Amino acid sequence: MDRPSQVWWSLLPDNTALKQQRLPAYRLQLSASKVLSGFFATGALCLGMGIILLLSAKSTKEIEINYTNICANCAKLRENAINFDKKCSCSIPFYLPETMEGNVYMYYKLYGFHQNLYHYILSRSNSQLMGRNIKDVERCDSFKTTHNGTPICPCGAIANSMFNDTIILLYNINSSIYIKVPMLSSGITWWSDKFIKFQNPTSNDLPSAFAGTAKPPNWPKPIYELDEVDSGNNGFINEDFIVWMRTAAFPTFKKLHRQLNRVQHFTEGLPAGNYSFDITYNFPVTRFQGEKSVVLSTLTWSGGSSLFLGLAYTVTGAVTWLASFSMMAIHLMLAKRKMFFPNYKVKL
Amino acid sequence: MFFSKKKLREVERIVKANDREYNEKFQYADNRIHTSKYNILTFLPINLFEQFQRVANAYFLFLLILQLIPEISSLTWFTTIVPLVLVITMTAVKDATDDYFRYKSDKQVNNRQSEVLIDSKLQNEKWMNVKVGDIIKLENNQFVAADLLLLSSSEPYGLCYIETAELDGETNLKVRHALSVTSELGEDIRRLAKFDGPDTKLMQNSGKTKFKRTSIDRLMNTLVLWIFGFLICLGIILAIGNSIWENQVGDQFRSFLFWNEGEKNFVFSGFLTFWSYIIILNTVVPISLYVSVEVIRLGHSYFINWDQKMYYSGKATPAAARTTTLNEELGQIEYVFSDKTGTLTQNIMTFKKCSINGRIYGEVHDDLGQKTDIIKKKKPVDFSVNPQVDKTFQFFDPSLMESIKLGDPKVHEFLRLLALCHTVMSEENSAGQLIYQVQSPDEGALVTAARNLGFIFKSRTPETITIEELGTLVTYQLLAFLDFNNIRKRMSVIVRNPEGQIKLYSKGADTILFEKLHLSNEDLLALTSDHISEFAGEGLRTLAIAYRDLDDKYFKEWHKMLEDANAATDERDERIAGLYEEIERDLMLLGATAVEDKLQEGVIETVLSLSLANIKIWVLTGDKQETAINIGYACNMLTDDMNEVFIIAGNTAMEVREELRKAKENLFGQNRSSSNGHIVFEKKQQLELDSIVEETVTGDYALIINGHSLAHALESDVKNDLLELACMCKTVVCCRVTPLQKAQVVELVKKHRNAVTLAIGDGANDVSMIKSAHIGIGISGQEGLQAVLASDYSFAQFRYLQRLLLVHGRWSYFRMCKFLCYFFYKNFAFTFVHFWFGFFCGFSAQTVYDQWFITLFNIVYTSLPVLAMGIFDQDVSDQNSMDFPQLYKPGQLNLLFNKRRFFICMAHGIYTSLALFFIPYGAFYSDAGEDGQHLADYQSFAVTMATSLVIVVSVQIALDTSYWTVINHVFIWGSVATYFSILLTMHSNAMFGVFPNQFPFVGNARHSLTQKCIWLVILLTTVVSVMPVLAFRFLKVDLFPTLSDQIRQRQKAQRKARPLRSRRPQTRRSSSRRSGYAFAHQEGYGELITSGKNMRAKNPPPTSGLEKTLSNSTSWIENLCKKTTDAVSSFNQDKTVKL
Repeated sequence: MDRPSQVWWSLLPDNTALKQQRLPAYRLQLSASKVLSGFFATGALCLGMGIILLLSAKSTKEIEINYTNICANCAKLRENAINFDKKCSCSIPFYLPETMEGNVYMYYKLYGFHQNLYHYILSRSNSQLMGRNIKDVERCDSFKTTHNGTPICPCGAIANSMFNDTIILLYNINSSIYIKVPMLSSGITWWSDKFIKFQNPTSNDLPSAFAGTAKPPNWPKPIYELDEVDSGNNGFINEDFIVWMRTAAFPTFKKLHRQLNRVQHFTEGLPAGNYSFDITYNFPVTRFQGEKSVVLSTLTWSGGSSLFLGLAYTVTGAVTWLASFSMMAIHLMLAKRKMFFPNYKVKL
Repeated sequence: MFFSKKKLREVERIVKANDREYNEKFQYADNRIHTSKYNILTFLPINLFEQFQRVANAYFLFLLILQLIPEISSLTWFTTIVPLVLVITMTAVKDATDDYFRYKSDKQVNNRQSEVLIDSKLQNEKWMNVKVGDIIKLENNQFVAADLLLLSSSEPYGLCYIETAELDGETNLKVRHALSVTSELGEDIRRLAKFDGPDTKLMQNSGKTKFKRTSIDRLMNTLVLWIFGFLICLGIILAIGNSIWENQVGDQFRSFLFWNEGEKNFVFSGFLTFWSYIIILNTVVPISLYVSVEVIRLGHSYFINWDQKMYYSGKATPAAARTTTLNEELGQIEYVFSDKTGTLTQNIMTFKKCSINGRIYGEVHDDLGQKTDIIKKKKPVDFSVNPQVDKTFQFFDPSLMESIKLGDPKVHEFLRLLALCHTVMSEENSAGQLIYQVQSPDEGALVTAARNLGFIFKSRTPETITIEELGTLVTYQLLAFLDFNNIRKRMSVIVRNPEGQIKLYSKGADTILFEKLHLSNEDLLALTSDHISEFAGEGLRTLAIAYRDLDDKYFKEWHKMLEDANAATDERDERIAGLYEEIERDLMLLGATAVEDKLQEGVIETVLSLSLANIKIWVLTGDKQETAINIGYACNMLTDDMNEVFIIAGNTAMEVREELRKAKENLFGQNRSSSNGHIVFEKKQQLELDSIVEETVTGDYALIINGHSLAHALESDVKNDLLELACMCKTVVCCRVTPLQKAQVVELVKKHRNAVTLAIGDGANDVSMIKSAHIGIGISGQEGLQAVLASDYSFAQFRYLQRLLLVHGRWSYFRMCKFLCYFFYKNFAFTFVHFWFGFFCGFSAQTVYDQWFITLFNIVYTSLPVLAMGIFDQDVSDQNSMDFPQLYKPGQLNLLFNKRRFFICMAHGIYTSLALFFIPYGAFYSDAGEDGQHLADYQSFAVTMATSLVIVVSVQIALDTSYWTVINHVFIWGSVATYFSILLTMHSNAMFGVFPNQFPFVGNARHSLTQKCIWLVILLTTVVSVMPVLAFRFLKVDLFPTLSDQIRQRQKAQRKARPLRSRRPQTRRSSSRRSGYAFAHQEGYGELITSGKNMRAKNPPPTSGLEKTLSNSTSWIENLCKKTTDAVSSFNQDKTVKL
């Protein structure tokens, strides 16, 4: 039982800072000067940032035209799926009071379209879309194959519900002549999407690459005929397709559709004047009580024209300042009282 | 030990000695001790089975199964299985190591050797191979392998002395005797194994340790249940939302999207959604919570093991946390139940002072003539001229030696008495040194003192006592031995000195002895009485010393009557007692002795400090009331300043009830009368911000209750009175309590006070109390292991309790509370965003984050910083914790983590989740990125939210951490860095290229994290989440600073000044109290001595008529047994309690 006396030291715990809980440390303490100066600084930063954001958001121009009801007859036609092959287009004239300077972007915006439903988001096949195995439709619930078992390409609910209106912006140079505003359909996707995530299967020509697959049931044309103008913009790497496949987080969202090609009359941007949207109305939103609109917008250093961030920063900054003033008042009052009753606080 | 009851199921045991073949038929258990749970093969299945019995693990398994149902699954399976596997592996590794150590210690015990008679010769056999019925030869100082039956011993009359330290912690020797039939068999001790292995008393006593849980644990379990309830509510809300949405929107939308496929009843869809959301929201109670709590506790336990300040070099014993699950409860103790002997006191008695003929010896005076405490510098009296000196004895007053040299007859008589009147047995060891076998340490102290002062007790036979008086051997004839008992409170011897004079020497309690004095002693009595009071005031145990000269004729007459009385069959005891009374009168007072029951080091300071920390200390001791009270005074638990000390000593239920009632009346009555002063006091207190919770009773009271009364008081109807009274008292001393009663008292407080209790003790009689208290502490480094084995923590000295509670306990509690607050906050913030998102995604159970983020958030991104805080954080330094015991109070009041705190954390988490969700929502809603592309895609939103979350919770932990060590820096910065590197890796082209379906977020991090707008959102979210908390905390510290805040501020202000120190307590007191008398031994030893049974065979067999009469009348051994049953039965009781 007796411990040999010569090993006494081995039982003595080591005298290290860690084991004796004496690690050198900085003791964080919320001193008045630190907290108050921190608050003032944060308040100033937020206020400044808010004002800058507000000003820059104000400098952007944006115009949104909701055409759900303007093209009422088309909407009605599209409500019935039987009419899917009947063409319907409508023209929406509008007046741009001020020049939109710089890069102008055209968006389509959908209201009430839930691209964020759990089963909807899952219903796609990344390995198909990267061109590795176009017959891999494993994850594309509900839209895997056609009735006769041919794999759908691109499969899944997301691809099937792709936005397919064509929107053409016309500019009224003079009383009767409308010219088509030149728009770029490229450069609207992320680099990683276009070059990594979406790849056409390697083959000599696209139709043969997609041989043995079927088009999604909602689509009028197969994937390799999406862009009739630019043959390089077909297949999975079609930019409109890529944009659609990047699902939105909220039921109301806008997606980049076209970018102004600044040539001819439009080197400065969109001049003020009369315009008209020529829309081929294919996408049936009224069926789920949704709406759709087209948006033209310019940008600033921080992005789009939303006032939210600017307002939020301004309010936060103001509240922070308010809080710091009240905190300072309370602190000074206490300090004063402490001077008169030095012992009231520390009773040890 | 040998009279212990057999197990119920086993009415009798048939054993043939030394006949293994025969005994094997009964299949008695073997002697192998087996406390390890697993072996290599059974480990995996048993351990897994055990782990999945835990509710939490089973719950996560259930979740995993839910996730495998495709209709419900809203998260991929790996989000649950990765943490679950991690958790289970960690626990399994820990269990395996624990079991390995148990296996090793079993092996060590099982392989001890003992000599067993096999095939008619003694063979060495390992303990584990000893069988029931084996005959074992034990030699002096050997461990006993099993429960044994003593067959014979080398001692006369088949006696043997055993030490039961491993059983009950008592180090004094107990006498056992062999059956008369077998006693003459041989020289050495031979014993027959009776119970083996698991059947031994030790194993049966050790019982199954009750699984202890801390109050935080229980609170946590309650909260987890609440959270589950809350989760179900959320699930139901979202499910209803889903049904409505499906009914109004989803149906049309679905028909638009999916044509006619996937059509579902909206009610059924809601039902499925409920389960899906249960899966998603389960991260509110992550698996890692339980593991993290275990890890933190383990860390704290290591800190206890490593603490040098709790290492006792005297016994080379470090403190040990034997349980790793109770640490934070150490910070919440309200009641400490302490054993006395071996815990508060060292069980060492030293002769300190004496008063002889009205003069005090043993006081030390400093140069100014002032009485002082004994200082180390002072040289002790040199006894080296005396060859038989006991080196350990120290006496600091040379005047006694001078008086002896001068030949003061009273001093000589005094010392002679000390050398003659006792029950000590002497023995000479090989070196010729005298060794005393003492039965009570008090007596040992007195005899040793006399020995060093020149009156050396040399040897005794049943009718003589030989002492050496200042160098000359003198043999006294022992004529009668008037034994000690609890009623007499004294013992006497009647001896005839060589001159032929007959003398009665008596020592006993002053209260008793003073009544027996001759009238001529009046002056001396007054003086001695003052001295005794003075000694008592210093906490010394006193005995009065007196003698009487007897004339021959008178003694002969008396002795005749005694013989008659002894021979009598009826009223024998009464008659003997009467005769003792008759002769013990007209005594001449010699003086008094003062023996110090040495306190353990630092007991007084510890007691004071703990009582400042509002911890109530109850002493539960098996000792006599006087001894217990004495110690109470010695360690300042009882003081003269106390308003009242209630003593409950009734013998019947009625008496006890009456006494309790009176005490209560007294207590409340006094309180009422002083209530005027009280109100003023209260008003004054209200002005001060950190006023302490008022006690309902002002003034200090103490309660002393003995075992008999306690037995009545613990009955159900008086129980509450007792408890109420006891809890009003500052100090409670329970004396003469059995181990079972110790446990009952603990249970009483535990149950009815709802307070956290701690029991500390060193012997097996404390085991039941140690096991029933919330926290049990064993004093280690002693011979006995039982207390330590049953304990949760062990250390070598009572004083370490202060550090264990005030530093380790407080820190543990503080850290654990902070950890839990943060953890719940973090997970609410993390999970609740799913709820908000539900309203935007058609309640479709779409997660906000990437699945990988959900998997890794709790176990990788945020686990280490909070662990580092939980392990290393300190609000104030250990020195401050010790100096300001008041810092301990928040723990007792449960202030740092309770249901209110939990709701605050929850609200904080929900607030953060609001900021986390709605700021990006507002910013992205219809905005575009700087390249004109839309921002509000799901993946960018997920990455933004996840990044904000990681940053917000990291800033929060940075604010929560008050003690920033290198480790905290590494973990906090490291976690954020890890998050970004893992994020970039998982969003890299390479990962997507290999697993396109598992890592669909390719390019997202690169794209999102280069957008200014997203960083602006993250910054704003952080500011909005953190600023209110910061303001709230600042104002709280500024307006309502806690004691620890104040100390931190002062610490900062006075960093360079010397550390603050509270005033050290004074140890000197003056008291006018009567002392406890210094007798600690059992009755019956007088008879043993006069019978000569315990003496060596070489002594001539007793022939005196006196002896004969004594031994003939009753078997002395029966007497001894009868009188020692107290101790034995109490031990057996202990065994029968299922604890």
